[in-house]
Amino acid sequence: MERGLVAPGIEWGDLAPLLILLAGACAVLLCGSLLRGWSRTLTTSLTVAVSVSAAVGGAVQWERDSTVIGKYLVSDAILIDRFAALSIVLICGSAAVVALLLHAHLAGSPDDGVELQTLLLTGAIGGIVLAAANDLIVLFLGLEILSLSLYLLAASNRRREQSQEAGLKYFVLGGFASAFLLYGIALVYGATGSTSLDMIVVGLSGKARIDGSDTLLLVGIGLLLVGFAFKVSAAPFHVWTPDVYEGSPSPVTAFMASAGKVAAFVALMRVLVTGFERRVDDWRPAVWALAVAAVVVGSLMAVTQSNVKRMLAYSSVSHAGFVLVGVEAASHPGSDGLASSGLYLVAYSVLVLGSFASVMVVAGQEDSATSLADFAGLGRRRPALALAFSTLLLAQAGVPLTSGFVAKFGVIKSAVDAKSYAIAIIAMVAAVVGAYLYLRIMVSMWLDEPTDDSRPRVQRAVAIVVGLAVAFTLLVGFLPGWLLNATESLAR
Amino acid sequence: MLAATSAPVPFPILTALVLVPVIGASIVSLMSTRMPEQVKLVATVVSVSTAAMSLWLLSSFDSHSGGFQFVSRHEWIETWGISWHLGVDGIALFMVVLTGILFPLVILGVDPHHDEKRYLAWLLMLEAGVMGSFLSLDLFLFFVFFEIVLVPMYFLIGGWGYDKRVYAATKFFLYTMLGSAFMLVGIVATAALASRDLGRFTFDLVEIAERSDLATSTGRWLFASFAVAFAVKVPLFPVHTWLPDAHTQAPTGGSVILAGVLLKLGTYGFLRFGLYLFPEASVWARPALLTLAVIGVLWGAIAATMQRDLKRLVAYSSVAHLGFIVLGTFAITSQALTGSVVQMVNHGVSTGALFLLVGMIYERRHTREIAELRGIQSVAPIFAAAFMVVMLSSIGVPGLNGFVGEFLVLIGSFETARWWTVVAATGVILAALYLLWAYQRVFHGPVDEANAGFGEMNLREGSLILVFIGIIVFTGLYPKPMLERIEPSVGRLVEHVESRTEFRAPAGGASHGGGG
Amino acid sequence: MADLLWLIPALPLAGFLVILVLGRRLGEPGAGVVATLATASSFLVVAATYFDLLGRPEEERNLVLRVFEWVPVGSLKVDMALAADPLSIAMALFVTGISSLIHLYAIGYMKGDPKFPKFFMYLNLFVFSMLMLVMGENLLVTFLGWEGVGACSYFLISFWHDRESAATAGKKAFVTNRVGDWGMMVAMFLAFSAVGTLSYGAINHAAEKGQIAAVTATGIALMLLVAACGKSAQLPLYLWLPDAMEGPTPVSALIHAATMVTSGVFLLTRMAPVLDAAHPWATDVIAVVGAATALFAATIAVAQTDIKKVLAYSTVSQLGFMFLAIGSGAYVAAVFHMITHAFFKALLFLGSGSVIHGMHHEQDMRRMGALRKVMPITGFTFIIGWLAIAGVPPFAGFWSKDEILLYAFANNRALWAVGMVTALLTAYYMTRQVVMVFFGEARWHDAAAAHGAHGDHSHEGEPHESPWVMTAPLVVLAALSVVGGGMQLPFSKSTHWLEHWLAPVVHGAEADIKGTWAYDNKWWLLVLAILVASAGIAASIAVYSRGRARPIEPTVLADGWRYDSLVSAVVGGPGRAAFQAVADADAGIVDGAVNGTGRVVLSLSGLVRRTQTGFVRGYAAIVGAGAVLVLAWFLLRGWT
Repeated sequence: MERGLVAPGIEWGDLAPLLILLAGACAVLLCGSLLRGWSRTLTTSLTVAVSVSAAVGGAVQWERDSTVIGKYLVSDAILIDRFAALSIVLICGSAAVVALLLHAHLAGSPDDGVELQTLLLTGAIGGIVLAAANDLIVLFLGLEILSLSLYLLAASNRRREQSQEAGLKYFVLGGFASAFLLYGIALVYGATGSTSLDMIVVGLSGKARIDGSDTLLLVGIGLLLVGFAFKVSAAPFHVWTPDVYEGSPSPVTAFMASAGKVAAFVALMRVLVTGFERRVDDWRPAVWALAVAAVVVGSLMAVTQSNVKRMLAYSSVSHAGFVLVGVEAASHPGSDGLASSGLYLVAYSVLVLGSFASVMVVAGQEDSATSLADFAGLGRRRPALALAFSTLLLAQAGVPLTSGFVAKFGVIKSAVDAKSYAIAIIAMVAAVVGAYLYLRIMVSMWLDEPTDDSRPRVQRAVAIVVGLAVAFTLLVGFLPGWLLNATESLAR
Repeated sequence: MLAATSAPVPFPILTALVLVPVIGASIVSLMSTRMPEQVKLVATVVSVSTAAMSLWLLSSFDSHSGGFQFVSRHEWIETWGISWHLGVDGIALFMVVLTGILFPLVILGVDPHHDEKRYLAWLLMLEAGVMGSFLSLDLFLFFVFFEIVLVPMYFLIGGWGYDKRVYAATKFFLYTMLGSAFMLVGIVATAALASRDLGRFTFDLVEIAERSDLATSTGRWLFASFAVAFAVKVPLFPVHTWLPDAHTQAPTGGSVILAGVLLKLGTYGFLRFGLYLFPEASVWARPALLTLAVIGVLWGAIAATMQRDLKRLVAYSSVAHLGFIVLGTFAITSQALTGSVVQMVNHGVSTGALFLLVGMIYERRHTREIAELRGIQSVAPIFAAAFMVVMLSSIGVPGLNGFVGEFLVLIGSFETARWWTVVAATGVILAALYLLWAYQRVFHGPVDEANAGFGEMNLREGSLILVFIGIIVFTGLYPKPMLERIEPSVGRLVEHVESRTEFRAPAGGASHGGGG
Repeated sequence: MADLLWLIPALPLAGFLVILVLGRRLGEPGAGVVATLATASSFLVVAATYFDLLGRPEEERNLVLRVFEWVPVGSLKVDMALAADPLSIAMALFVTGISSLIHLYAIGYMKGDPKFPKFFMYLNLFVFSMLMLVMGENLLVTFLGWEGVGACSYFLISFWHDRESAATAGKKAFVTNRVGDWGMMVAMFLAFSAVGTLSYGAINHAAEKGQIAAVTATGIALMLLVAACGKSAQLPLYLWLPDAMEGPTPVSALIHAATMVTSGVFLLTRMAPVLDAAHPWATDVIAVVGAATALFAATIAVAQTDIKKVLAYSTVSQLGFMFLAIGSGAYVAAVFHMITHAFFKALLFLGSGSVIHGMHHEQDMRRMGALRKVMPITGFTFIIGWLAIAGVPPFAGFWSKDEILLYAFANNRALWAVGMVTALLTAYYMTRQVVMVFFGEARWHDAAAAHGAHGDHSHEGEPHESPWVMTAPLVVLAALSVVGGGMQLPFSKSTHWLEHWLAPVVHGAEADIKGTWAYDNKWWLLVLAILVASAGIAASIAVYSRGRARPIEPTVLADGWRYDSLVSAVVGGPGRAAFQAVADADAGIVDGAVNGTGRVVLSLSGLVRRTQTGFVRGYAAIVGAGAVLVLAWFLLRGWT
């Protein structure tokens, strides 16, 4: 019995980021709960240190793996290629940032944030696994690890019932979506006889149609798509987004919008573009429709919102649509769609982190003052913050000389290169409609009279985060060359 | 009087023209609000030195070559074949000079009512953006500047405008952005398709225009995508309605810049990225655009006649004037095109001055309602005289600048667009109608007690307007220096179009061996 | 001499600039003196040029001075160039001459006006523009002057701008003239596209060479006619001229009688070769317009009671004569009448001005009478002007009018008949005016009492003769009105002096109609004309002096056949409504569409927003529905 069991070789070195995070999570948990006099500051610093070092690990792998093929680990269960490395960097980076935000968020509350920071790290682990999975089962594991952490994080603010509500909603609907995903995996397995992406590729490459079970495969792909669409909150599977984003503590929302989206999108691209490359003609129209739905619904619904967090939630929907535009382009032969999608993810994660950090400041102690009115006159009360936030908003609107514009331009360029003119134009026009929402926020910040002259407290941690975000936004906006060269290698 | 020596200069003058205002803006925004004088000083110095550079450019411009001069080219984003490619020809030259001159005048001449520091910072930002748009020879670069201009203008209108400013600013921003949304796709598509001919992916305007030739139908689609953006910016009938709101609500300085230079981005775009980039499509689209232009001339004039708000009236007159410019652009004869360029400058000067004067009226009376104003000439004759001169130039009376452009546009267009021109020419009647009627209601008649206290023009205002009047009279009487710099580039453009299409611009009956 | 041509317009321009800068300092009468000297010296230069030309052989009587290149673009090369040839110098002579006199006169007339300097500033600017108009070497320079005089006339009509009526009249004049300007522009475009230049020499040369297609030439001719109708107040555009009397009387005399209003006639004469190259019906149109206007205006003049309005309509009528001449190919006659008319009409206007001045700004002839006793010089000179315009030999008007009628007869007898009727009416209404103002019993005592109160400078209620600065010009003009006919007498070839002078540039000599019945019987026509004139005078005297018959002055005539009120009704009614409709459409439809789009987006958003119920079951339903759609697609693919 034991003889039959051959433990798969485990490349510890290559798994370093995961292991670091895991160890870090345990460390945070143990220290926080056992050591007396262990302060929140220490928790935060440890978390940040862990995530940063994991991110470094990811960066190292990026550098080492210049040969874009990638490296298979744990008997091909995990594939560390440039996409994976990129997601590691992004996810861990965002984890570090969010750790800081959480610290600021908890300031003045009895909660020492040990659980939160731990969940943050586990969430990062899940995200990485999801992004690096080369096997659908592993992928599902990653997804669940990430999701469970997020559910708990979402509900973590015990003093706000919206938070509880958000957690619950997210949990129920997330489970619903996971079911789709799982069933999809099952069907694909049934059709191709494997859950390993490579095997699936081989299986499909053999014959154009799998006799009999072709429909099975297609439905499987469809179910997978639904599952992913839910995670990346593409319309019409976005319905949970506004409530959850609004209800969750702002730092958590930031994590969902950045790390969560990145992981899910990378997995989606991996599965569709790599795994089902042979079936592009089948899934392309579906992705096309999802992309259009996302950009349109996202922009459309944002315009009538009056709560900034909800606005950003909807804008994240339309951003998801833009990434999908890139995915759609990637479905055409010889397209650099993956590269532009990756670029978009990088730019967007940073933007969204910075934006929610800014929102957090205004939201205040209870993390509840997020209506447009609460931003009124911010330009006079906190000019620097208002300016930074405006920059990030303009970037999200796709105004030139910001990372947001570079990202949009890249996606549109891929789409146009792939001759998908229609989707490009729809996306751009939708973006104009969306711009109205960012204008409204800026109007209330700069042009409306402040309701009260209270100057919201800006903690150093938050200031650093926002500052970095703005710096990155402008850097990429003015000198995008290096980032383009980097992401270029993502396209196969 | 203007020496034409185009020695290749080591100093990257064009880059400086763009960067100096940016630097100025950053300095201003970093300065403390507690020392307004110094802030104002910095802004003034920056804008004046920019103006000086633009004038130096004018003087050292080689009036004999129609090509791009002072070109500076640096790779910016190699991955996408995007380069920092600036150059100036006879067409761009005067846009640059106009921009360079208008901004210091606005900064010196008009004070915002609050937050002067931010106001000045935005203004300088705006100047940089406009300069960049006029100088770019790279599609991507142009789009960047074309689009970035919206932000400072948005804040200028929204922050320092009048009661309905937010509505106007938002309308302006979204309307223009909608136009450029199509252009962005068009730009990428152009580069993508051109790359097949060029063998490499590039956004370089000159390269694409000169060395690639796009399939007819594709070219037309691409042109359309550009045309939408420019039509909104010009603005061309029927996408012009953001203009009256933006103009009326903007602060005086904003209106001057908006009318003076921002609208020219559209007309300039039609020349540089319409005719030059898509000759075939431009020729194909002539009838439609000519018709819209002529409708704009009449529609704008008629609408202007019935306005009750003086500033709105001037705004609608802009619609009419820009209709003439577009008419001249798509007539594609050297006279008409030259006329268009001249008219771009003239409209900037005349309408800019008109907005300044209306602003002065508002400062004194706190109303722009024509009905509220009466008999001002009796109490402020000098003010009235200044208004009269500017008005006559806007009407297009010979001897003043307005006439030169209008006349060239019309006489040139008559060759290739006869009936459109005949109809458009009636616009000169309407122009007299709406302006003189407004003038009579505002300045003539017995003065009532509300206006009895109307203050005469003070020294600062006077000297400001005097600069404008100087330009108005000089250009009207001696446009040669201007024309001889514009014409080579225009001629080159016409040849470019002719070499790529069936279109032939008649040489103004010169076949009969004409000539003075 | 050619290189000194620039002095001619430059001197008045200098005067303008000097007054512009130093106006306040110069004050009164300084500004007036400066202006008068500027104009007078310009007159001297013109005279010098004239003798210079006289000294040259005919074919060399054409000096051109290119001051600078004005609008050079590609094949279009327009210079700021002045031409001195017999026509332009003839024009310049009487323009500067009469202007000088009127400047002098105005020093007296405008005495005590607060804006005295400004008045002379405008006056000089006008003279400059008028000289550019007549001396322009090409159409564009002429157009510069053309618009310049238009602007000045606008300034001067609305000179007393705090009077609404004056302001309105000025605006009306400018806008109406713009209609004409449109015609002139189109004419220029046509000429340029046909010949490739705007210079008169080249265009006329091409026309004579037959290089201009008849249809093009017709187009140019008609567009020039439109232009001329605007400036020279012909039907249907004459409306602005009667209103223009709102301006100070010297302005009426100078701009709206002697000089500016004749520039339409000048333009047509300038372009005579093109007119001849056109289809014959084009010139017929001109002749008909002229005749019609002449008669139309004359009938109106019969019933006017405002001393200046009578003269205004008479001016329109006389201009109609000139158009009739042009249309009949009698270009010389047109110029001839233009000049004589300038003499006597300026005289009459200045006379009326002197009367108004003496009557403390009373203009109603019904409040005058017997003024010849109190204003002997004014009265005497006015009577000479009357005889001249009424067509009594040997006064100037007789000869010029008669020559026009001669050609009209040769060209088209119906139009000749109209001309004769007009001549009759002219004699009639002018006599009526003279009688009402200078003869009969004095009806002005009450008037003076009524007006003396607020009269600007009413040292006493009594009417009084004007100072010498005003009467001197009257005397000079009176002299000219007497002898003016001498420049073109029908007796023999040698007496056709003007004809010889203009020959190099303007044809239309008597030779053209040799052999026609009219030519052979011109003496009979002459006699007939005299009879008609005397008939008119006699009738008028019978009615207004002897009271043999009740005057026929129907209000419909007093109201100018209600044409003006009709036009203003149309413009102010349907016209205005149409404009308002456009403005409303712009706000409602064009902009409405824009804002409508915005509203649609918002309402859509509100609609989609309904899906955000906040209930998990609702969300689950949506997710499920979405899943169904996606799966449906894949199933579809599966089956195919």
